[in-house]
Parts: sequence; structure tokens; C-alpha cells
Amino acid sequence: MSDGAHHTPSTSQYWKIALGLAVITALEVSLYYIDNALELGVLNAAMLIGLSLLKFVVVVGWFMHLRFEKPSLSRFFTGGFILAISLYAVVLGFMAAAVLRS
Amino acid sequence: MTTTTERPGVVEEAPPTTTIYRRPKSTEGFWGWVTTTDHKKIGIMYGYAAFFFFIVGGVEALLLRIHLASANSEFLTAGAYNALFSMHGATMIFLFVMPASAAFVNYLLPLMIGARDVAFPRLNALSWWAFLFGGIFMYSALFFGTGLAPTGVENVVGNLAEGGRPGGLNFLADMPDGGWFLYQPNAGPDFSPGTGIDFALLGIQILGVASLVAAVNFIVTIFNFRAKGMRLLRMPVFVWMTMVTQFLLLFSLPIIAIALFMATFDRNFGAMFFDATGGGDPILWQHLFWLFGHPEVYILVLPAMGMVSEVLPVFSRKPLFGYSAVIFAGAAIGFLGFGVWAHHMFATGISPVAQAAFGLSTMTIAIPTGIKIFNWMGTMWMGKLRFSTPLLFAIGFVAMFVIGGLSGVTHSIVPSDWQQTDTYYIVAHFHYVLFGGSVFGLFAGIYYWFPKISGRMLGEGLGKVHFWLMFIGFNLTFGPMHWLGLQGMVRRTWKYDPATGLEPWNIAVTVGAFIIALSIAVFIYNWWSSRRRGAPSGLDPWDARTVEWTVPNPTPVYNFATTPVITRLDDFWHRKYTTDDEGRAVRRPEADQMIADLEYDGRNPKTEIHLPAPSYFPLLLASGMPFIGWGIIWHTTTWGLGMVVLGVLLIVSGGIGWALEPLEEAHEEDHPHDEADEDEETHETEGASDVGRASESADTTEPVETS
Amino acid sequence: MTDLAHEGDVTAEDHHDEHESLGMDARKLGMWVFLSSEFLFFGALMTNYLLYSNRPGLADPYPGTIYDIPFTSVSSFVLLMSSLTMVLAHAALERDDQHQTRTWLFATAALGSIFLGGQVFEFYEFITHDGMTLTTSPVASAFYVLTGFHGLHVAIGILMLLSLWGIGHSQGALSDKRGFNVELVGLYWHFVDIIWIVIFTVVYLLSTS
Ligand code: HEM
Ligand SMILES: [Cu+2]
Repeated sequence: MSDGAHHTPSTSQYWKIALGLAVITALEVSLYYIDNALELGVLNAAMLIGLSLLKFVVVVGWFMHLRFEKPSLSRFFTGGFILAISLYAVVLGFMAAAVLRS
Repeated sequence: MTTTTERPGVVEEAPPTTTIYRRPKSTEGFWGWVTTTDHKKIGIMYGYAAFFFFIVGGVEALLLRIHLASANSEFLTAGAYNALFSMHGATMIFLFVMPASAAFVNYLLPLMIGARDVAFPRLNALSWWAFLFGGIFMYSALFFGTGLAPTGVENVVGNLAEGGRPGGLNFLADMPDGGWFLYQPNAGPDFSPGTGIDFALLGIQILGVASLVAAVNFIVTIFNFRAKGMRLLRMPVFVWMTMVTQFLLLFSLPIIAIALFMATFDRNFGAMFFDATGGGDPILWQHLFWLFGHPEVYILVLPAMGMVSEVLPVFSRKPLFGYSAVIFAGAAIGFLGFGVWAHHMFATGISPVAQAAFGLSTMTIAIPTGIKIFNWMGTMWMGKLRFSTPLLFAIGFVAMFVIGGLSGVTHSIVPSDWQQTDTYYIVAHFHYVLFGGSVFGLFAGIYYWFPKISGRMLGEGLGKVHFWLMFIGFNLTFGPMHWLGLQGMVRRTWKYDPATGLEPWNIAVTVGAFIIALSIAVFIYNWWSSRRRGAPSGLDPWDARTVEWTVPNPTPVYNFATTPVITRLDDFWHRKYTTDDEGRAVRRPEADQMIADLEYDGRNPKTEIHLPAPSYFPLLLASGMPFIGWGIIWHTTTWGLGMVVLGVLLIVSGGIGWALEPLEEAHEEDHPHDEADEDEETHETEGASDVGRASESADTTEPVETS
Repeated sequence: MTDLAHEGDVTAEDHHDEHESLGMDARKLGMWVFLSSEFLFFGALMTNYLLYSNRPGLADPYPGTIYDIPFTSVSSFVLLMSSLTMVLAHAALERDDQHQTRTWLFATAALGSIFLGGQVFEFYEFITHDGMTLTTSPVASAFYVLTGFHGLHVAIGILMLLSLWGIGHSQGALSDKRGFNVELVGLYWHFVDIIWIVIFTVVYLLSTS
């Protein structure tokens, strides 16, 4: 059932989005090899995380249509996401600190 | 799965008309209850089951108290003692307070928002059955579990060191014995080699599925099924607190699910998560457990807070003081509740920064809690109080909860907590919040809403006896635990030395426990006799404020003959009362007539009302879960693997039948059923209830829901 | 599990206008609410992995040393493309092209199965060839349980896709009006995909050395 105004992408747009996703994946994999050669360290991590977040957002926004839904849906969803990230970041932080101290 | 029945030939022309299993028709009698999707029936079943487990947990507590009444007691073996306190805690939390709250939410939530049912009635039935099977699964440890002692430790089970006395109810030691929080590595494979713990791990897992499904269901119900005009800020506080609770469940259950899985893998499949010898970290368990565990304590108390917030205004004959403040405080508690978990871990050597941070965040929880307390007092202040039983319990709640909250704040001061942790002082704290809080709140709700399920009043005289016995018994039981703890009586101690001088207060505590038991006996008698002989309640026995009281008692199956339209907060009250020049409430002259009309109209719906149809599949699907659990425990044997397969088959066939089952006989107008047809179906359903045969009786044609 | 059926029609669909509501399909709302809780589920599993993968002194091999990145890149790509076929199935359904809907559903299930097969192969290699099992070390346990639970989600997804495909075949028409429908399964499927997007980056690409 479609509720509200739908401006969901057309079939050809879906193909293009998928192409984009594929390109990002290729980029990620190549970054991985570049890093093996050049030891980019944090920069590499930042780029990889950035790229995967980009894929994440594209899939959620377009394939799952979240962009075209009522804002309350994204609130639930991002709420869960942010809660998870923050809670587990604290746990990891504390536990890593405990290992360092010992 | 291959059970799908294809009907060659009819495929293209007709809309989907096949259901692979027969659908139940009867809404009466035994099968009516088993297959029901009615939120009221489900609520009632939740309620009775929860109360049953309350009795079980209570008997366990009495055994513990008999044991502890004397120093160096020999009444229970150490193994039995460990299993009893563990199962007492787990039972009270997971099998009593949570499902009892679920009972109220089920019954009241749709009524309070003016809906005819919850969003997903079959999922609702699934929650209930999964809960029931989860509880049965946990207690099946009594028959199938083994409480072995770790290798190298002798006689821990049934500590026979002194004289080797067998007995001591040692058979109870087969139940889970790792405490309700199952700390690792104590509850891990090395220190608890028996299967007892697995029953707790997997049982709580099943219960978690039940609660998670319910959380999704209730959240959607609240967001999507409110009657016209029932804006969010017109919802009763109970609904608000339910909503906060369901979000807490939604986000905390997945965490405990993972923790339980990790421990299950450690114990059954040799994973190393918490195995310190291999580099695993037992503290990780505590983080994950309390990430869930602290929100859990609010899951236990917020519904009771909601009930009390409904009861106090009615019996003070005043609106709730600071409605939006109460709601905001509830939401704030829910939110902050996720940020304080490590206060359970002050003694585990977490860093000073963590201690300071979590000490502070814990203290801030006292602020919204305090706001609520003041709002409740403000509600009663200058009210025309009617001291009926619900009000007594509500006041008991507020008073006891204040004491529990204050002792909670004393644990948030870290150095002080180091003295208190793992002593009876903690036991006192959480009983003041859980028993003094949640349980008193639940009883306030039971006395207040009893007419809704029965059409009768729960006896006032016995109710007051119940209250006072429970109030006195409660304080005699848990009050002295504060000083026992401060004098150094260790929590979870099987024996204490007579030289410590702790015995006299322990005797008092045990006496208190029996007074509570007596009060419960009074309550049971009161319930039982009021069910049959209680005074008829009429539609509005308490002069109530909220819409659930605008329908006849007991509630008709369809709830509302015509769905209500809400124009303001406390809508029902404003339909009965107006204010005079001085702002006092005056009953409108037409109020009595309006109530009589509601009574009549509520029983005589003008249009035909379609209700969600009953279904077997929730039960079928849920019944697979315990089999998978047993199968995991005995996965090294062939029949254990067989159990897993059986469980998966039950779940998958339940799921497939569910997906294919027409949603309901909706739009029945187009396909009138004739009576004879229905009768025939009713008979057949008896046979089809048997799972094996159900899948053969495939060809029933049903009217379908597609528009 | 397979169904977030929108029942109780009486209370919602028939009288939509009479209700205060978010004004969206209840099943869909329910699915989103459920998925938002799955972040906490997979988050806890990732936390385990991250915690232990940085812990020195565990028994060898660390998963990070034995990943076959080219292989996993391909299977990740396959799963990513299954999201494409999934949206194509849904788009076809919105055009009421039943035939294409079924085809794309089947394609999605097939791609999912390829991914799952790849995972089985990967596990097999790790166990027999590299000698890393569930019981090797906490980080090995974390790896298997994390990717295993993801695989279980994929398997459930495949089961649901095939059921839809079967319903489409036996009953002629699929429709988003059914309780159990393409849109819901699609949401679930994409979610499982985004979880893998994160796992692929964080677990495979970032923790390999
Ligand atoms: C003002 C509010 C509260 C504060 C500041 C507070 C604080 C604390 C702290 C710091 C502990 C840990 C003590 C220790 O183990 O050393 C604790 C334990 C506990 N609290 Fe609270 N609490 C509050 C309200 C509640 C509520 C509302 C409930 C339940 C309805 C509750 C239930 C428990 C339970 C069950 C434990 C013991 C857990 C265990 O170790 O088994 N508390 N509380
Ligand atoms: Cu706490």
C-alpha cells in the first residue's frame, strides 16, 4: 500500500543507484589495497567508514524509501542507530581503558 | 517447507482463497481461549499466569526465609538455597511483574485510547504464548536440569560437609542457580557445569522474544490506533508510561539477547567469550547485562507508576497535578535509564572517571523521580480523598517508593556503595522499589480495574485487611534488611554465624514474610468470592475520568459499540462535570442520564462489528520455541537434535500458516456466512487443533481479505 | 516471525479518517520499529568483535589474519546487488507486473543463497584450512557468532522471499495489501544488507592487518 505522496525512484534510477553502490564498493576494496601498500592508518579508516556510511544511507534512503516516508519513521530508525552507537562506544571505551591500565 | 497446498486450476481466476490449515471458529470455551486474539482475553490469561508465578516465587521466598530465620541453618542445602534465590528473583521479575504489567497493558491500552484491539492481534497472542512457554521452559529445569558442582569442588550441591545430611530439599538444586543476573564466569561452563543455568539463559531468551514482539505491537498501537481526537497529549498517563516502557523493552531486549546467546555458546558450544583463561572478559557480561538490567528496572516500575497516576486523581477527585510534567519525567527516566548501568559495577574496578560519571548520572535520575513524587502529592493535596482500597495501595506505592528511591541515591555515592554492595542493604533497596513500588502499584490497579473484567467490585473490607496486612508485613520484612545489611549481613549468604548477632532481626524478617503471605491469602479469597458474589459495579463505579470507563462492565468483546471521539484530557470526567464560578467541580444534571445511555448503547451496537478472528498459529509458532531450547541443551544427543528440528518445523509451519491465513473475515457483508456453516466449522476445529492433522485438512476455502 | 500482519481491520483501515494516527500502514511502522531495535542486536555483536580483535595475546589465528578479501568482496557485492533485485521486485509490483515481481523475488532469493553459500564456504575454509574454530579464542567466537547471526538473518530472509514467490505462483497475485507482503520483506532484506555493509567494512576491511 502506498501512503502519502510517493516520488520513489523509477526503475532506471534504481539501476543507477545500484551502479553507484557498486562503484563505492570497488573504491572501498581498492582503498584496502592502497592502505596495505601505503599505511594510511587513520585516514584509511576514516575514508572506509565514510564510504560504508554513504552506502548505508543510500540503501536506507532510496531502496528502503526512508527519504520518502513520514519523518517519524526516520526518527525511530536513527534513534535506534544513535543509541546503539553511543552505548557501545562507551562500553568499548571503558573496557579498552581497563585493559590499558592493567 | 513443503506444506503449501497448491490448488491447480483455480490459480489464475480467483483471488487467493486457500488456507492451508483450518481456522478456528469458536470464540467460546476452552478453544476459544486457546485460539483467541482478543486483547482482553489475552490480558486476563497473562494476569492469571503472572499471579500463578507470583505464588511460586512467593513460596520460594518463604522457603528462603524459613532457612534464614536461624543462624547456621540446616533447613536447605547450599545448592537448594542458591537455586531458590535465583529462581525467586528471576520469577518475580520475568514471570510476575513483567507479565502482570503486560496483562494491564493488554487489557487497558486499547480501551484507554478508544481502539477495538491492538495493532496486531495475532502477534499479541504470540507474545502471550511465548511468555507462557518461556516460563514453563525455565521451570522444566526442575525435572530435566542438573545442578552439578564444578569439578574439584566437593559437596557444594547439598553441602554435606557437616555430617552429610541428605534431603534439605536438595532436588531444588537442579534449577538455575546463578542469581537473576547470571554473572560470568560463575554461571559459565566451568563453575556451573550442570544444565540448570541453560534453562535460565534460554528461558529468558524466549521470554525476551515475547516481550520484544509485544513492544513492537504496543508501540504501533499507540502511534496508529488512537480514537479520533485522542492526541498524544490527551492520552492517560498509564498509556504514556506504557509507551516509555515499550521503548525501553525495544532497545534493551536485543542487548540481553546477545548476552544470553554468548553465554549459551560458551556453555554449550565451547565459545570463549567470558573465559578469562583464554583471554575472554567476564566484565563484558556485566556491561551487557546491566545495559539491559537498569532499563529493566524501569520497565518493572513505570507501568505501576502509570497506574498510580490514574488512581490518584480519581480518588482525590482532582485532575492529575502537572500532567505534562509527569509525562515528561517518565520519558526522562526512560532516557536516563540507559545511561546509568555501570552503577551496578562500582565494585568491579571500573575506572575512576567511569565511577564519577555513573555516580553523577545515577543521581540525576532522582530528579525526574522526585518530580513525579511531588506531582502525586500535589494531586492529593487539598483533594477530597476517598480512602478506598485502590487509593490505599497507591499511597503505599508513593511512600514505599520514596524510601526505595532514597536508598538508591545512597548507592550512587561510590564509596558508600562499596560498603553496601552485595549486602542486605541492596536487597532492602530493590524490594522497596520493586515490591513497595511495582507490586503495590499493581494491586492498586487490580482493585481499581477489577470491575472492568468482572462487572463486580472487589470486596472493600477484605481489601483493606489485605492492604494493612501487606503494608505491615512488607515493612517488617524489608525495613530491618537495611540495618542487617549495614551491619554486614552479606547478600546471598547460605549461612551466617550466630556470633554476629544477626539472628533476632532475621526472625523478624521471616515473620514479616509470613504476614505478607497471609495478606495474599486474604486477597485470593477476596478475588475468588468477589468474582461470584461481589457487588455489581455498574458502568462507572469510581466516578472515573478516562474513556475505558465509558463502556459497560465487564467490557463487551467489541469494546466500543461506537468508537469514541475525544475532545480533551480526562474526557469522561468533563462530560460529567462542569465548574462553577469558584472553579469547583459540579456534576452536570444530565450526567446520570448520559451514563445510563452509555450503558445501554454500549451493549447494543448499532452496526455489525468485525473483530479479529481467532487463530491457531500463534500457539503453534510459540510451541516450537521451548523445543529448540531443549534441543540446544541436549544438542550432543540425536534426540536433542531431533528436538531442534521439531522446534524449527513447528515455527516454520506456524509461520507459513500464519502468512497464508486470511487476516480475518473482514468485509463479511459481502460474503454472509450462514449459521449452519459456522456450526459445522466449530465441530471440525476440535479435530484440527491437533497439529499433525491440521496440516492435512488443507482445502478449506475462506473468504478473503484482499480489498 | 514472518508476519507483521495488519489485522484488526476494523480499527484501522476501514475508518482511517476517524483515527489519530501517524497515517501510515501499521505493518510498515511495525517493521521499522522492529528494525530499529536490531541495531542494538548487531551492535552488541560488533562490540564483542571489536573488543576482542584489538586484544593482544589471544590464541592464533586472529580472524584478521586469514580473511580472503577478494572472495568476501565478491560475496558482499552479490548481497548488495540482491538489494537491487529486491527493489526491482517491489517496483514491478507497484506497476502490477506480477510476472516480473516473481522473477525478481526469485533472483533476490538466489543472490541471497549465493551469499550464504559463500559464507558456508568461508567458514569451512577457516575451520579446515586455517584451523580457526568457534573455540579457538574469544575473537574467533565473536567472529563466528556475529557473521553467523547475520547469516541466519539472510536465511530467514530467503525463506520469506521464497514463500512470497510460492504464494505468487499458487495464488496468482501478490499484493501489498496482504499482511505478509513484498514491501515488508523488502525492508527486512535491505536492512540485512546494510548490516553487512557495516560488517564488511568494519570487520573485514578495517581489522585486517
Ligand atoms: C531513584 C532511583 C534509583 C536509584 C538512584 C537506584 C540506584 C541503584 C544502585 C546504585 C544500585 C546498585 C547497588 C549495588 O549493587 O551496589 C541499585 C540496585 C538495584 N536497583 Fe535501584 N535505583 C533506583 C531505582 C530503582 C527502581 C525504580 C528499581 C526497580 C523497580 C530498582 C531496582 C534495583 C534492583 C533490582 C537492584 C539490584 C540489582 C542486583 O544487584 O540484583 N532501583 N539501584
Ligand atoms: Cu540500576
